[in-house]
Amino acid sequence: MNMNVVEASGLGKRYGRTWALRACTLAVPAGHVAALVGPNGAGKTTLLNLAVGLVTPSAGAVTVLGGRPPGSPAALDGIAFVAQDTPVYKNLSAADMLHLTLNLNRRFDRRYAETRLGELGIPLRRKAGRLSGGQQAQLALTMALARRPKLLVLDEPVAMLDPVARHDFMAIVLMAAADDGVSVLLSSHVLAELERVADYLILLSRGRVQVAGEVDDLLAGHRLLTGPAAEADRYAERPVVHLRRAAAQAHLLVRAGADDPVPPGWEAHPVGLEELALAYLREPGAAALPGPARGRALPAETGEPSEVR
Amino acid sequence: MTALTVPARPEDARLRPVPWRRMAWVTWRQHRIALAGVAALLGALAVYLWVTGLHVHHAYAAVAACHPASSNTCATLTVNFNNANGSTAELIAALLQGAPALIGAFVGAPVLARELETGTFRYAWTQGFGRWRWTLAKLVPLAIAVAAAAGAFSLLLSWYYAPFFADGNQTPLASTVFDLRGVAFAAWTLAAFAIGALAGMLIRRVVPAIAATLAATAGLGLVTGLYLREHYVTALVTSNPNVPGSTMGSNVFVSDPAWILSEQWQTKAGRPVSESALGQVLPAQLGGKGGGIPQSFEVTDYLTRHGYTLWTTYQPASRFWPFQWIEGGWLLALSVLLIAATVWLVRRRAA
Amino acid sequence: MTIDKGIGAPDGAGGASPASGGGVGAPGGGSRGSGSPIEFRLDAASGVPTYLQLVHQVEHALRLGYLKPGDQLPKVRDVVASLAINPNTVLKAYKELETKGLAAGRPGQGTFVQATLSQVALPELTALRRSLLGWLATADAAGLDEDGIAALFTNTLRDFRDRRRGSARPAGGGTEGVA
Repeated sequence: MNMNVVEASGLGKRYGRTWALRACTLAVPAGHVAALVGPNGAGKTTLLNLAVGLVTPSAGAVTVLGGRPPGSPAALDGIAFVAQDTPVYKNLSAADMLHLTLNLNRRFDRRYAETRLGELGIPLRRKAGRLSGGQQAQLALTMALARRPKLLVLDEPVAMLDPVARHDFMAIVLMAAADDGVSVLLSSHVLAELERVADYLILLSRGRVQVAGEVDDLLAGHRLLTGPAAEADRYAERPVVHLRRAAAQAHLLVRAGADDPVPPGWEAHPVGLEELALAYLREPGAAALPGPARGRALPAETGEPSEVR
Repeated sequence: MTALTVPARPEDARLRPVPWRRMAWVTWRQHRIALAGVAALLGALAVYLWVTGLHVHHAYAAVAACHPASSNTCATLTVNFNNANGSTAELIAALLQGAPALIGAFVGAPVLARELETGTFRYAWTQGFGRWRWTLAKLVPLAIAVAAAAGAFSLLLSWYYAPFFADGNQTPLASTVFDLRGVAFAAWTLAAFAIGALAGMLIRRVVPAIAATLAATAGLGLVTGLYLREHYVTALVTSNPNVPGSTMGSNVFVSDPAWILSEQWQTKAGRPVSESALGQVLPAQLGGKGGGIPQSFEVTDYLTRHGYTLWTTYQPASRFWPFQWIEGGWLLALSVLLIAATVWLVRRRAA
Repeated sequence: MTIDKGIGAPDGAGGASPASGGGVGAPGGGSRGSGSPIEFRLDAASGVPTYLQLVHQVEHALRLGYLKPGDQLPKVRDVVASLAINPNTVLKAYKELETKGLAAGRPGQGTFVQATLSQVALPELTALRRSLLGWLATADAAGLDEDGIAALFTNTLRDFRDRRRGSARPAGGGTEGVA
C-alpha cells in the first residue's frame, strides 16, 4: 500500500476575505496514524472538511486515496469521517443508526458493529441523544469503522471526552490501524498524548503548514543544543528553529541529526514531539517540510536509538 | 474478518452507486413524525368535514328538491340554507387556505435545515450514498407523499363545497375556494414543500426556514389569487347583463355562477359612468339620488332602457378545470425547478 | 519452559479490548488471552520514547526472570488495545529487540524471546558492588553530591558505550556534563 491517502497541492480555502487555509501542500502516506496539530483556528477543520469533500477549495487541489477527488464515489466509499462533536441523530436509537449506516453504504460489517457496541455497553435501543458524550463518540466511531474504510478521518475526536473514554476511544482507533491497516488522520490541539499515537505529524499554524513528516524522521532530525548564551548568536546561521535565552544559558532547537557535530562547550539532547511542536508554533516563519513523498508503512531502519538524558 | 453485507472490491474504477431504494427506509425513519403529523392533521380535519358535510348535504337535499327552482319559496329556502351553513363553510375555507403552506413548511423545511443546523450533514453527506443523491432520494418521495395526501383530502373538500356551487352561493373560481379543490390543493402543497426545501438549504436553520416558507407561500398565494389567476385565459366581456350569478341580471341564483371580475356602466357614447352619476339618474323609487345603487334587476332594466350599457368582465364557471390545469401546471413546474435548484445547491456547495 | 499457548480466545475474535461504556476501564485486560507472561506499561511523563520503554521493559523482564527464552512477547494488537499506542511503535520495539538478538518473529504466530541477557554470576556481582561503594565514597569525599555523581556516571557510561561501538562521534556530552 504505497499510495498517499491525502495529497494537497497549493490548497487554500477562503471564507469571505479570510483565508482559513493557504498554500497547503501535503502528501500523507498510507498505513500511518497522522496527527494534524495546531492551535484553535489554525485551519485543521477546514483541511479535514476539504479532504472529505464537505467543502470545495478556493485555490489549489486536494486528492485522496491515491489521486481520487474528494466526494467522488470511490472517495466516499473508502473514507469514513467523524466530525467534531460527533454528530448523531438524537432521536434515533443506536440500532437505528446502524441500520442507517448500513443502508447508506456499500460495505457495512454489522456483526462487528453490534459486537463492539455490546462490549462497550452501549444499549442498542436507547436514543442516541440520551447517551453520554463518550458513548456518542464511540457510537460514531463504531459506525465509521464498521464501514471498513481505508482512511479514517477524525476531527478533534477526544476533545470532549474524559481521560478513560479518551483512552478507550484511541485504543479502538489504533486497533483498527493494527488489525486492518486502516490509515488514520486525526486532528487535535492537545499535544501531550500525540507522541504515543501518531507516526506522522502535520503542524498547521494560521492556515499554513509548518511541519509535515514522519515523526521518527522529525525527531531524528532535530536536536536541542544547550550552551552559553554569549555564543548563541554565533550559531545563528545553522538552521535554528527556536532560541530561548537567559542571562548565562541558551537553548537552541536546531535541525541537526544525531551524527552532526556538536560545538565544543555545548550539549545536544534529543527532542520530544511536544517540545518540537511548541517550538515551531512559536516561530511562525519556521518550517520543516519533507522532500518528495514516500509511502512507507514500516518504521525506518534504525540507526542507534536516540540517547536519552 | 466477520461477515460483510456486500462484498465489494473498492479498487473498481467505476463503482456501482448504492441503490436508490436503500433510502426508502432512511427517509421514512427520519421523517415519519412529520408525515404522521400531516396524516393526523388531515385525518382530524377529514373527520370533521365528513360529519359537517353530511349535515350540509342533508340540509341541501331539501333545497334541491324544491320545485320550481326560481319561485320565491325555493329562493327563501336557498337563502336560509346559505345563512345557516355558509358562514361555517367560509370559515373552513379561510382556515384551509393556510393548510398547504403549513404542510409544505413543516415537512419540507426541516429536511435540509435540520441536518445543517445540528451538524448531522457532516455524517449524512460523507456516507457512500453521496449527498446530492441523498437529497433527491428524500425530497422526491416526500413531495409525492404530501401532494398525494393533499390531493386525496381535496376530494373531500370538493364534496363538501358542492352544494354551495350548486345553489349559486359561490363561484367555483372564487379565490377562497378555487385552491381547495381540483388539483390546486395538491399543487399548492407541493409548491410549498419545494419552497420549504430550498428555504431549508439557504437558511440552514429550521425555525427561520419554516417562517420563510410560510411567508413565501402565503405571498405567492395572495399574488396568484389577486392578480394572476384572472389572467390565465383572457376574460370574457359582454354587454349582456344576465351573466350567470351576476346580481345585476336575472340569473342570480343559478348553479355554478361565473366569476365576475368587474362591472362597469357606460353611456351610449361609451364613456364610463360613476355610481354617483348613476344615482342622479335613477328615479327615487329605485333608490336613486343618493345612497348606493341597489343591485337588482329592476335597476339594470331601467338603466338599459335609458341608453346605458353594463359591461361585465367575467370568467365563466366552465373554465374551472382549464384554470385548474394551468395553475397546477405552473405550480408543478415551479416545484420541479425549486427542487432541482435545491439539489444543485447541495451538490455544489455544502458547508 | 512451556510456552503459554493462550488460555483465552485467539487473536481476532474481539477479545482483549478494554470494556468501557463511559466509565470504568478494565486495566489492560490482556491476561485473559494474550498468551504472554508479561504486560507492558507506559510512563507517559518519563520523556523516554515509547518504543524504548517497551524495549527496556523486555530487557528488564529478562533480567529478572519473568521472561525466558521461548516465551511469547505480547501481541501487537493486545499492546495497542491496552496502552493505546501506535502499532508501528510496537513493531519498532520488537524490531529493535530482534536487532539486539533478544527476540525473533515467527510469521503468523508472533514474536518470541530468543536469547537471554548475559547473566553475571553472583560472586562477581558482589565484587562489583563493593568496588562501586568504594568509588562512591571517594566521590563523596571529593565534594560531589548525589546528582553530580549521577550526572558524572551517566556521561562516562555514554562515553564508554560510544567508545565500545567505535563511533566517530566527538566527545558528545561535553566535559562538564552538569548544567
